[in-house]
Parts: sequence; structure tokens; C-alpha cells
Amino acid sequence: MFYRQSIVLFGFVLPFVVCAAIVGGGVAFKAKAAASFQQKQALYKSSETNRIGALGIEAQVSKKRPHVERWISQIEKETANSITSHLKEIGDLLPAKEFQQTAFERPTGATGFASVSAQNSSQVKLAFRGTFRSMQKAFIELETRMPQLQLQDLKIDPSSSSTSTLNFQVTYTAWEK
Amino acid sequence: MVAYQHPAGLNPLQRFRQAGAILRGTSRAANSGWYQSALELDLQLHLRVDGNRLDSFLYDARSKQWSAGPAIQEEFATDLTLVPAFAAEVIACAQKTGTSAIGVVLHIADEFATSELKPELDNPGALAELRTTVENDPKAVLDDSSVSATESSWRLIPYPAAGSEAIATTVCISRHWSGFLDELRKIGEEKNFPLVTRAISAPLTCLLALPDLKTTELTRLLIAVLPYPRFTLLAFFNEHGDLRLLRTLQHRGQRRPTNLRHAASTTAAALELSDPEVFLFTIGEQADPQLAADLQLVFPAASIHGIDWSGTPYKLSSTGLGCPEPMIATALSITPDSPLASAHTFTVLRGDGWAVQDFIPVAKEASEVYPTRGEMKLLRSARYARLAFASVGLLALAWTMLQMVDMIRKPEWAFDAKDGKSQQQRLAFLATERARIDHWDNLLEDRSKAWASMELVGGLFPDNSGFLVKSFSHIIRTDSAPGQAKVGFVREWKITGLAREEALERLAILNTRDGMSAIFNGVATVTGNTSFRSDLPNRSLVVNVRTLENSGFRQGPIDELARLDESTYPFSFDLSIQQRFESADPMAVTSAKAP
Repeated sequence: MFYRQSIVLFGFVLPFVVCAAIVGGGVAFKAKAAASFQQKQALYKSSETNRIGALGIEAQVSKKRPHVERWISQIEKETANSITSHLKEIGDLLPAKEFQQTAFERPTGATGFASVSAQNSSQVKLAFRGTFRSMQKAFIELETRMPQLQLQDLKIDPSSSSTSTLNFQVTYTAWEK
Repeated sequence: MVAYQHPAGLNPLQRFRQAGAILRGTSRAANSGWYQSALELDLQLHLRVDGNRLDSFLYDARSKQWSAGPAIQEEFATDLTLVPAFAAEVIACAQKTGTSAIGVVLHIADEFATSELKPELDNPGALAELRTTVENDPKAVLDDSSVSATESSWRLIPYPAAGSEAIATTVCISRHWSGFLDELRKIGEEKNFPLVTRAISAPLTCLLALPDLKTTELTRLLIAVLPYPRFTLLAFFNEHGDLRLLRTLQHRGQRRPTNLRHAASTTAAALELSDPEVFLFTIGEQADPQLAADLQLVFPAASIHGIDWSGTPYKLSSTGLGCPEPMIATALSITPDSPLASAHTFTVLRGDGWAVQDFIPVAKEASEVYPTRGEMKLLRSARYARLAFASVGLLALAWTMLQMVDMIRKPEWAFDAKDGKSQQQRLAFLATERARIDHWDNLLEDRSKAWASMELVGGLFPDNSGFLVKSFSHIIRTDSAPGQAKVGFVREWKITGLAREEALERLAILNTRDGMSAIFNGVATVTGNTSFRSDLPNRSLVVNVRTLENSGFRQGPIDELARLDESTYPFSFDLSIQQRFESADPMAVTSAKAP
């Protein structure tokens, strides 16, 4: 019985230990790789979600991007100068008797829309004398060219000097960058 | 042949490697013959030496056939160079019969001596211990201190008879044939063919035939007389068939013992035997008639039976054997059906192997070199276990590899975290851009436009509908809602003017929410300005029309030119419209700054 212990040790125990080490090592290695893989999967999934989300946003944004660029370029200009130049151009398109600018003010302080938004803005108060339709044309032209203008108030009164013209007082809040 | 070392001198790993080498290099794992007794093997070579002649017989246990074996010579015991040729002949015989092992049984019939145990060891309970001790350390149990364990071998023979003076005696045989048997085994190991040896005492084996010879009821004491060429053995049994004494009478060059009568009579007197039944064995050559005469003189009233083997199971003439011991040794498993066979002595002599003890066994050190049968089985199992473990290990590795390959093949595995970060940054950038666009989209909404409000006037008061509008005022008031993301507001119109009779119905319509809503929706449709839509859930419309009599009215004809003449309008009116946009309305103002 000199060999029994050696046979049990090297024939069973040691191979079992080696086998267990290989199996355990394999399982541990796989578990570690799986954990890393799961992490990568999560990142990949998140990245895919981001990619798909970005594609969706890109589709939305790309349609508006040209307009926004135009808006921004418009907003970046000084409001008073823009209004003045646009009104001059508009005045050239309309009969002089039907469209006359009578006042241009830049009141200080923020009222109306400007008072509730943190966005930079300025206010412009304008006065005109003109016919109803010509003034409406002028307003539609001005407000189309400068979409940042938000009407704050508008008063229309009969002109005392002429029955065919009216007095217009208008105050705008102009959004600025 | 690989020279294996005794495992006691090896470390555990060397032992295991040596065991593996034995497993691979020998047939010990597959051939059970290595671990069987010579008398258990299918093919047995029975060699018999009695001092006068040497016999050799082959016995095939499968067919129970006897045949002449390879010739043995006396010189084999002293000149070991002759043994390989003999061993080769033995192996060839075995291979010819198709057996995988052969047992070589040496029947020693040329010497037999007894020695007494130390008197203090007469303890029947220690018989098993004494049996082991006498084999390994005979000096410890023998009364004679001059014994040499290297020259002779002792074996214990019990005296089971009640009232015996001793519990046992010892039988001594020299190791004369030890070298021959060792060489045979060595050659067997070299040839990887089991040559299993056993050296047994022929007289002791022969005694086992007595129950086949004495088949009648036991009524008297028994004496068995076994005459061999060099000695005569006397075995004394009591009336129950139990052995009381073994006594050897050496012939000392004579044909028979000269002191037979004296020894028989003194022993019978000492054992108080009277009128015994005497069995005179005939072994080998014809029995000496003088022996029977001498015994008859000592025991005049006794019946003396000369053994005729032809009437027993051991018919020597039918097998060609000249002596009974080989046949008796091969029939140990067959218990005779006689009263004497059931006596305790014969039960233990046969069952416990006392009669066929190996006097020249393999040296303990030599036998320990090889793993035992159990260890060989264990080693073989270990081989399969290693295979199984290796398979499990390989499977585990393969499984791990497959799992890894499966993972590596997926796009997620090759995914770089940097890509994820850039996607995230891109998404964040786009989200910021969208927020900025949404912000400006909201601020630049057509929520309050002068031209659209003027269009409302046209909607309220169509041409030639009997109205004269005198003043128009439109103002925006925002809600006070600090901290909110979006802020609601109110658009308010105040219009004053004059109306004729035909305009009253229109004023009544304007004074209803539905009527005003229809006009607002009409403006929204015409202008495309959705701020005038009144059908959205977060908007409300409040209208108030106050109609009074015009104090400056003068009754008279109304012509086309009098359209601006205030005195032609019998009524004055005051119209107030409030349109509220809640903070949940899409046109509510974003309170934050552009991102």
C-alpha cells in the first residue's frame, strides 16, 4: 500500500484541482469578459440610442437650420437701424401720401413681452400717418422682414387733417441676441 | 527490463510515476493472474521433489486434464543459469494453451521437520498473530534460538484437538528452492507473463486426503502414517478427528525409519492412545510391507489400512501421476462428504489454508515494489479520471472560447467608448441646437402682429355694413408668473364707433363668444396667423359690446356721401375683446434666455 496515497494525490486530487482551476478560470474569465461586454453593450445601446436620437433631431433641425441662420443674422443687426432701413425701403414702395412716418422713439425699460423673458430685447415706438390699407401693407412688409418684432400695442385714430388718412401709434418689442 | 525501485525510497511523485510506468510497461492492470494464487490459476505446473525423483505435471483447470510438464532437474536449485530455458519452456506451454498466466506449485516432499513453540505462547486466541510472526520473525516464537530465517522457512500448523498439550507446532522447510522460484518469477516479470509460484509441503497437502480415505463414522482414534523416501510423518488424531500431534521420523539414509515402533508406541502411550485406526499411505512407490508389520506389532488391536488410491477421488493411474499431492492440491475447493471432513481440523486445514501455506513466498521487499491489485485498479481508474478531468477542462476551455468568439463577433465588442462619447456629444450639441431653434421659434411666433390685428378690423366690420369706427386700440398684457418656463398673455382690443340700424344685428353677433370665435377663426384662415385660432384648449375669448344712442344723431335721408357723417348714425358702440393665452399654449412666451 505504498502507492495508494500517491495515486490518490496525483491521479485524482491534482487533476481535479487542475481541472477545477481550468473550469473556474474559464468561468471567471468568461464572467469578467461578460461583465465587460455588458458594459460595452450598455454603452453601445446608449450610443445607438444617441445616434438614432441625433438622426431624429438632425432631421428636425436640418429643416429649420436655414431659417434659423437667417433669423440669427437678422437678430444680430441693430434693431433701430434695421427698422429705419426697412421702413425706408417700404416707403419707397408705397405712395407718399398714404404712408408717412411721423415719429420714432426708443423707450427705455422693459414692458410687455420683454418684462417676462430673459431674452435680450429692445422696444421701439413708431408713429405713422397713412391710409388703412397702405399701413397694413407696410406693417406686413416690416413684420415679415423683421420677424423679431412683437407688437406690444397699436392705436389707430382718425387724422384731424385729412379724412382719408389715419394716425397710427405702434410699439414693438424687438428680440435681440 | 526497467529496474523498479522500492517505493519506500521514492518521493510521492516518483512513486506515482513508477506506478504509471508499471501500469504502462506491464500487464498487471489487465491480467489478474499477477495477483492470483498459483492454485487459483487455470493452468498450473506442479513440480514435486521427494529426494529420489523430480516430477513435473501440467494441470489445466478448465478441462481438468493432467499432462506431463517440462522436465525439472535437481540442478535448477543450485545453477540458476539453467532456469531461463526452463521458464521459457513453461511460458511456451502456457501460451500454447491460451492462458495468460501459469501457476508453478512446488510440492516439497524431501524434507519435513517440526519445532515446538515457546511454552508461554500457548494461547489459542493468538493463533492468527502467531501465524504472521512465525513467517516474519520465527526466532520470536520458536523454542529453539538457533534457527536461521535466511536458510529455512517456518509455518504454523494448529492442533485444534481439545486437550492438546500445545496449540500448534511449526513445520520447517529449507529455502533450497528459493533461488529457483525467485528466478522463475523474475523471468515472468521480464517476459511480462505471470509466473506465480507457491512452495507447499507435500505431507501437509497429503493429509487433506484423509477424509476421503476414512469415510465411515468416527469411533476410534486415528493415526495417519505418511512414508516419504527421506522421512515418515505420523499424524495423530483424537476420536473426533482433530489433530493432536505431528511427528516426523527421519530415515537417515534408510528405506524406512528405524525407530518407528519405538516412536509410535511411546507417542501412543504419551497421548494415551489405544487401539487406534491406522492409515498407512502409499505415496510414490509401492508401500513397504515392513511398515505395516511394525505398526501391527505396536498396535496389535488396531486395524491398519493400506491406502489404495484407486478407490478414492485421486485415481493416480487415470492421470498418469505417480503421487497424490498435486491432485489433492487442485481439489481444495471440493469438500469430501465424510464425517472426518467436517472435523474442525480438516475444516481449518482446508478452509483457512493451513495445509497449503507457501513456504517460499515472494520476499516482502520484492512484492512491495509493485502496486497491489487494488492500487492497480485505482491507478487505472485514475487514468480514466484524468481523461475525464481533461475532457471537462477542454470542454470548459472550448465553452469559454465559444462564448468569447460569440461575444467578439458582436458589434458591441468592437465598440469604442470614444465613439459613444462623440455620439453623446453630437446628441448634446444637436439637442442644444434644437433648444436654441425651439427658443427662437417660440419667440418669433406670430403671436402679435399689427397687420393681422388690422385684418381683424376688416373681419369685424365689413364694408357697407352700417359701422363707422372711430378708434382702435390694441394692447398686449403679459401674465405675472415668475419662475415658470413659459408665460401666458392677454391680447386686448378696444374699438369704439357708430352704428346704424342695419348694424345692430351684426353687433349682437359680435357680442357672443361663438360669433366672435367665428370671426377670429376666419381671420386665422385668411391671414394664416394661428394666434387667431380660438378652437385650441388653452385659449379663451371674452367679448363685450356696449351700444348707446348717439346724442348727435339727426334724422334725415342717408346718401352715399353721408358715410362719414356721424349724425347719420343713431347708435354708438364700444367693443372690448380679450383673448387669453394660457402658459400651456404653444404661443406662450419662453421666459428663459436663448441657450
